Amino acid sequence: MAVFELCELSFSYPNSAKKALEKVNITVDQGEFIALAGPTGSGKSTLLRLLKPELMQNGDQSGTILFCGNPIGDLPPRESAARIGYVAQSPEEQIVTDKVWHELAFTLENLGKKQQEIARRVAETAAFFGIAPWYRKHTSQLSGGQKQLLNLAAVMVSEPEALILDEPTAQLDPIEAARFFDTLYKLNRETGVTVIISEHRAEELLPLCDRMILLDHGTVVYDDAPRAIAQRMDKSSPYLPYLTAASRVFIHSGGAGECPLSVREGRKFFKSREIVSGNPHSPSATAPPGKEDCAALEMKDVFFRYHKDGADVLNGLNMTVNEGEIFAVLGANGCGKSTAAAIMTGVLKPYSGKVKLFGKALKEYKNGSLYRENLSCLPQDVESVFLHATVREELRGCEEIVNSLPFDLAPLYDRHPYDLSGGERQLVALCKALKSNPRLLILDEPSKGLDPNAKERLSELLRKLQSSGLTIILISHDIEFAASCADRCALFFDGGIAACESTSDFMCGNRCYTTAASRMTRGILRNVYTVDAAAAMIGGDRS
Amino acid sequence: MREFHEYNPITVAAYYLCATAVTMFTMNPVVIGISLFASVINYILYAKNGIKPHLFSLVLFVIMAAVNPLINHNGMTVLFYLNDRPITAEAAIYGVTAAGMTVAALYWLRLFTKAMTSDKLLYLFGRLSPKISLILSMAIRYTELLRIRWRKISDAQKALGLYDDGNLIDALKGRARVLSILITWALENGIITAESMDARGYGTGRRTSFRLFRFRMRDGLITAICAAATAIAVIGLNGADVVWYPSIKTTLFEPVSIMGYVGFGVLSILPIIINTKEAIRWRYLSCAN
Repeated sequence: MAVFELCELSFSYPNSAKKALEKVNITVDQGEFIALAGPTGSGKSTLLRLLKPELMQNGDQSGTILFCGNPIGDLPPRESAARIGYVAQSPEEQIVTDKVWHELAFTLENLGKKQQEIARRVAETAAFFGIAPWYRKHTSQLSGGQKQLLNLAAVMVSEPEALILDEPTAQLDPIEAARFFDTLYKLNRETGVTVIISEHRAEELLPLCDRMILLDHGTVVYDDAPRAIAQRMDKSSPYLPYLTAASRVFIHSGGAGECPLSVREGRKFFKSREIVSGNPHSPSATAPPGKEDCAALEMKDVFFRYHKDGADVLNGLNMTVNEGEIFAVLGANGCGKSTAAAIMTGVLKPYSGKVKLFGKALKEYKNGSLYRENLSCLPQDVESVFLHATVREELRGCEEIVNSLPFDLAPLYDRHPYDLSGGERQLVALCKALKSNPRLLILDEPSKGLDPNAKERLSELLRKLQSSGLTIILISHDIEFAASCADRCALFFDGGIAACESTSDFMCGNRCYTTAASRMTRGILRNVYTVDAAAAMIGGDRS
Repeated sequence: MREFHEYNPITVAAYYLCATAVTMFTMNPVVIGISLFASVINYILYAKNGIKPHLFSLVLFVIMAAVNPLINHNGMTVLFYLNDRPITAEAAIYGVTAAGMTVAALYWLRLFTKAMTSDKLLYLFGRLSPKISLILSMAIRYTELLRIRWRKISDAQKALGLYDDGNLIDALKGRARVLSILITWALENGIITAESMDARGYGTGRRTSFRLFRFRMRDGLITAICAAATAIAVIGLNGADVVWYPSIKTTLFEPVSIMGYVGFGVLSILPIIINTKEAIRWRYLSCAN
């Protein structure tokens, strides 16, 4: 039986001529695992919200939505709360209470369940999700990944039939995201709950799901198994970035035979093909653009800890960033990357070691001159940069920078910064950071939550800024993004740098902490870490 | 080992309230002696806070005991004259008793705050009303969230060069800006929290309140013992009286008052009795294994 049936569903927001959704027909069967993909603003969130009566927004709706055969609007409030689960993007703000156990019990308390029943459901759920070790902790003490698992668990206690997730892993690092997907997959297989998830992480998600729905401009472009969709696309399709690396290589190379999805299948595919051309990324072919003799930033034996009796967060960190290069610092959440950034910007002071900016120690920059024409830093949550009610006021004094950008920000001028999409926010914040005319720009997780197109645009923009003489330090856990724009990469681990090489050496030298293309071609092709390069080297079928 | 403070919060709270109340509403030197002695021993055994709080109490005790005879010159037994003013034995004894009462009450309240952590208080309020309990729980969560957020915003503003610490006016302007961003952020993100509550059925009808603590037989037993001891103390101490001025006359040692002292004595060392009993039991258990 179908859990959701959408029939000729259209929706438009008040005061908007454009339809957010147009004639959408989707049937979701019991127990399906569906990935919803598409660019920002394609109507994904609108669609997901229409499936959860509590979150329906004002606007013109036509067509019907049936839940288990009945119109979704007829569902009594308590049933709708219990039977349709919803998890949103932000791990932090979805949490309501101060204790993990209370958060787990919250839904059932609202539904007026008895003590005994709550105790049983909470115990069951905590055991399933592996929450027991932190059951009595404060919710503010959890990591981002734990918070999002808690949000999922807190929804699952009422045993919903359908689970709706709107970009749940956008704020998580790759390892936390993988754990989240694993749990979701296990839930789907073991309890049969229907899952509809919108997500930009194709690489990890698509191999798990039964079906992929690709939305654009409010209409369904593709609705099929991921493999079948990939087989129907060609090289010129604008939706290629929504597929996995293996599928993209397959399409680039002509698309004969069965399409691979995962890295494992990709390796099999490469082995079955002939290798034609030589080596596009030979390490000596392009010298890194950074000037080796001029250090923009130098950190020498830097030690830092937050408390006198605490453990060292930075443990003898040595790092040199050359002038004019894009330098990526990669590593998992909680390894000390952001602390390192705070030291680079002078917000935190190391207890031992030297930090030099353009040959001068940080403390020699007096009266805030450090932050004028020298250094600027964009934090992870760019909201903390915004001061005003409109983008126009926000960008006052930045006209020159705005005009030099390859995109037009004018249509955004009258909107509130919080109403922008992730990519647009990042751009506006970047303009603000460039206002002080810095020589060194530090970006903390700039690609977080962006769709593939926005990432590509950001990467191009960083390249352009670099060509105008700016040195950029990129702090990120997004390997693919770093591979697309950095000149050198460093792996941050245990309070120091474990490896630091040019991007091609780094990506090809790492075994698992590297791009999907590199993992697929390791031992088959030499020095390949991008999909384009891999596809260019592939010939016909070997047999 | 289930110590006294691991009993149900209702029991623990009731115990400390009884002990504090009896101490505070009496000026009976015997009761205050027992109370002071027992509360200090309880505190040393439970809080293990070092010497500092005791030094503070001692200073407080000495000052309070000294002040009364200096300003109150009633009483027949003159000890000596200070600046032509009589210092009397009655006023001195009264001062010591009053100081002892204050310090003992202070110790009991310290024990109360130490024992009643936020989740135990929440549980108590939750018994009164599930709504209050939820509001408190959300308030605790939000203060923590705002604190972290304040930090992030001011760091971000600093690293963008927008936050100038150069002089007082600029620093204040910087603070105001951080506060304004914080408020916008809180309002914007409050919507997400509200939606998360809606999506999980908040406001769909009567709420229940889930509790981690259970009220067991032994919690009831200890609460009953505590209530009985308090009742005996109150009834027994009713007749015990002290007339301080002009000379001290007491009816402190009638048979019924002695019963009251025993009642209060049991009440004030109840945690020690329970913990000792548990410690002995534990010892036998570990011998048996």
